[in-house]
Amino acid sequence: MAAISPQPTFDGDILSAPLIHTDRNLLACIEPDYKPFIPGNSLRRMSRVLKMGLAAALKCTADSGLDTPGPIITGTGKGSLQDTEKFIKEIVEYKETALNPTPFIQSTYNSVNGLIALQQKCTAYNNTFVHRGFSFENALLDSIMLIQDGEPHTLTGAFEEITTEHFYIKSRIGFWKNESINSADLCQHLSPGSIAGEGATFFTLTGTPSAHSYAAISGFRMLYKPTKEKLNAALKAMSIQPDLIISGRNGDSNYEHFYKELDSCYPGIPQLGFKHLCGEYDTASAFGLWLAAQIIKTQQIAEQWFPQQQPLTTPVNSILFYNHFYGEQHVMLLLERV
Amino acid sequence: MAERVFITGIGMITAIGDNVAGNLRNLKAQQSGLGYSQYVDTIHKNVLPVAEVKHPSESLFALAGIPEKEGFTRTTLLGLAAMREALKDAGITDVQSAPTGFINASTVGGMCDTEKLYFDIIDPEKTGSFLQYIDTLDCADCTQRIADIVGFNEHIATISTACSSSANALMFGARMIKQGMLPRVVCGGTEALTRFTLNGFNSLKNVDKQFCRPFDQQRTGLNLGEGAAYLVLESESFAKANGSRILAELSGYCNTNEAFHPTSPSPDGDGAYEAMKAALAMSGRSLEEVSYINVHGTATLNNDISEGKALERLFGDKVPLFSSTKPFTGHTLAAAGAIEAIYAILAIQHGMIFPNLHFTERMEELNISPVTELIADYPVKNVISNSFGFGGNNASLVISKYEG
Repeated sequence: MAAISPQPTFDGDILSAPLIHTDRNLLACIEPDYKPFIPGNSLRRMSRVLKMGLAAALKCTADSGLDTPGPIITGTGKGSLQDTEKFIKEIVEYKETALNPTPFIQSTYNSVNGLIALQQKCTAYNNTFVHRGFSFENALLDSIMLIQDGEPHTLTGAFEEITTEHFYIKSRIGFWKNESINSADLCQHLSPGSIAGEGATFFTLTGTPSAHSYAAISGFRMLYKPTKEKLNAALKAMSIQPDLIISGRNGDSNYEHFYKELDSCYPGIPQLGFKHLCGEYDTASAFGLWLAAQIIKTQQIAEQWFPQQQPLTTPVNSILFYNHFYGEQHVMLLLERV
Repeated sequence: MAERVFITGIGMITAIGDNVAGNLRNLKAQQSGLGYSQYVDTIHKNVLPVAEVKHPSESLFALAGIPEKEGFTRTTLLGLAAMREALKDAGITDVQSAPTGFINASTVGGMCDTEKLYFDIIDPEKTGSFLQYIDTLDCADCTQRIADIVGFNEHIATISTACSSSANALMFGARMIKQGMLPRVVCGGTEALTRFTLNGFNSLKNVDKQFCRPFDQQRTGLNLGEGAAYLVLESESFAKANGSRILAELSGYCNTNEAFHPTSPSPDGDGAYEAMKAALAMSGRSLEEVSYINVHGTATLNNDISEGKALERLFGDKVPLFSSTKPFTGHTLAAAGAIEAIYAILAIQHGMIFPNLHFTERMEELNISPVTELIADYPVKNVISNSFGFGGNNASLVISKYEG
């Protein structure tokens, strides 16, 4: 797996990485040096989220030790916002004449998938889901279905960017907090709205465990606008007693009650939030899953990211993951140690 | 053994009809829906032909079966109109009567409306009811609005793989059924014309100023269209227990990537060849059993060479009857795969092959040419329906006559 995120997750030792925080209510990705992954002439033409998505996908494939990515399935809520915004404006600016097609092509939601396939010469199954907080989740479901049908492995990921303009647009409908906060305190700072984020996260999924495996996905459920009762029942059915919970808690008082439901289902289980690391976005679940898989593999929690958390004293054999996107799309996953 | 997947309801709206019957009538009358836009604000409206649904958005509310209100984009309204018909056709009065998924497809979500408001949306000086449209730009908006009105509360998803989006939606739904995850899934796509997309394709020099001429030597590009189509898919066991009327079987499908170029297919049609070959293999049908191919046939220079070569490679000198129905509907992008899947069903049900309008001259690169006149009383048992998109995304479906 590989993650480009607002934290130094792409290179180096995560356990010693510092906690990056901001008071802008917007956590932007730390972009890596793309040159090892993408040839210079291609790099110049590519917009930001395409570079992030492609680099994360390539690094993930390298990390997996596999020669080819196999089927490529991704999720993105918004695709390349930068290109969409650019093309909308150029249509007006140039009065619909002599337009450069590049932003239009790159704004197409499956352009990252196409690029990965092209660069890897991969002719296998290829699909892109674009459904807010169910984008990555449907990509994951599609991948699991492929593996159950006999595919040995898939490249499965998500990518999202936030632009200044889109940050403003979403601020108009209450997505972000009005007051500026220290992102490090996000999970404890309860008020309407969250803080914005972005990221590109990819996983190689296999049907059988290997020396490269981080974790096993043993439970998975998506719920669309569930009632309190339905959510409660689904959460309880996920696990008897997980060793750790990772939740998408994001300091948004409008939707905190869903996380309270989680607390009530699993009292006393240690719980980590992750949105203070990556911010809130359509495909933040992918980053949360990455974090969960890291913890279960290394059996360590990066102290600087979770200063309030006591060091682990017992093995983490299972992690329950729960996230929702503005109360509409809910996902729960159970990870187990390989 | 995985279950077979049957189609038990269809609904659609395109430039040639507000419902399936209207579409069939104009297909039989060989009446194209191409013309000039009444509703898109663009300098190209009198220059570039489009296949527009012949209703302003205000009157689409009635077809969609909802009172007029802010926040409903043309994309959503077209989708709702087609969804209502599909559910009715399948005899579904309550989608929650059995676990039912909804797999939608969209290429630009509610861009048709947001592009008109975008500069107000980003202007802090401006405020008003247009703010209701802020969240309609993304592709999930139309899916969720349709889902919430109709009552889908099981699995929902939105797929966007450019021009193959709804073919992939059908495939994903069929796979969920075969995996035993759901007994019934409604799949398809919705697409409204936008200035954004029209300028996008025009900037790629892919749009014909005349009515598009698929597989013609003189073709110079596509015409865009709009519309929506949904198909109700059911597992064999559910359909039989439920007493569903079976329209056809979705017997094969394949999604493959060409890994050749971001927006162009390979000249030899490698992706199209693989997609058709694998879909047919899955269906268990032989090459000889294919009665008709509803080709992607956009009339762009590259698509038609690539797809034509793929047909010749796969079928040799026995290429089945084929036609592109895009001269009727325009290229409806995310809706195209589902619209053409319904045309495949109509071909099977009514024993006819729909013509490839505007064709006069065979392409010099090919030895084959499409059907140019309506063929009636022709037994159609298996249809291949092709949808190929940007990013090298190739999808083929095999739709077969239900014979028990």
